[in-house]
Amino acid sequence: MIGPMEIMIGITALAALFSTAATYLAVTEKDLVKAVIYSAIQSTIYAFIYYMLMAPDIVLVYIPVAVGLYPAVILVLIRKTERWEKD
Amino acid sequence: MDTATYFLYILVSSMVMNLALALYGIFYKPHLTKKIISLTILGDTANAFALIIGYRLWPGEITPSRPPILVGWTHLNKTMLQQYVSTAVDPLPQALVLTAVVIGLAVTLFLVFLALQIYRHYGTLDVREIRRLRG
Repeated sequence: MIGPMEIMIGITALAALFSTAATYLAVTEKDLVKAVIYSAIQSTIYAFIYYMLMAPDIVLVYIPVAVGLYPAVILVLIRKTERWEKD
Repeated sequence: MDTATYFLYILVSSMVMNLALALYGIFYKPHLTKKIISLTILGDTANAFALIIGYRLWPGEITPSRPPILVGWTHLNKTMLQQYVSTAVDPLPQALVLTAVVIGLAVTLFLVFLALQIYRHYGTLDVREIRRLRG
């Protein structure tokens, strides 16, 4: 039987599947700027999963750190070093 | 097996898959920037596991589980405490995750600085090249 609890956990599970796809793209991408963007997408989905797991205080910390600061810092690193990953 | 357990299995399986992908990125990708990106994903997935451990299913059919926030603490009574204990999720993993997120940020900043110094010293971030250039 599908009740409201099953719908909420189902949405969380669907978001987790999307996060797996984003993680795969982030790990296998050769262009590091695109990899950082995929990582930010994965972090956004994780923030949603944390929210659905009843942790809104974590979300308030996690969104600025993982969607804002991590990509910004790594983009600065890529800008100062090299953009492409060699085979 | 009821539907909620099935969905929880999908959630945990996706997280295990993410953990495996992040470990693959850390161990088998030669570029240091890619290793740092994979490390952030690994840390976030570990945090998600901690939150899944602390989660509780809904106590009633239409009674949702709630965030562990005690409201109205200036005039607490027994009923409010009973309601809190019977509906709130576990607050301990959330406190640990809150600390881990901030520590992860500090560790990542340190690693980024280290990678920048390695690039200035060796002129590359590929660990195979760095191993060849060593000494």
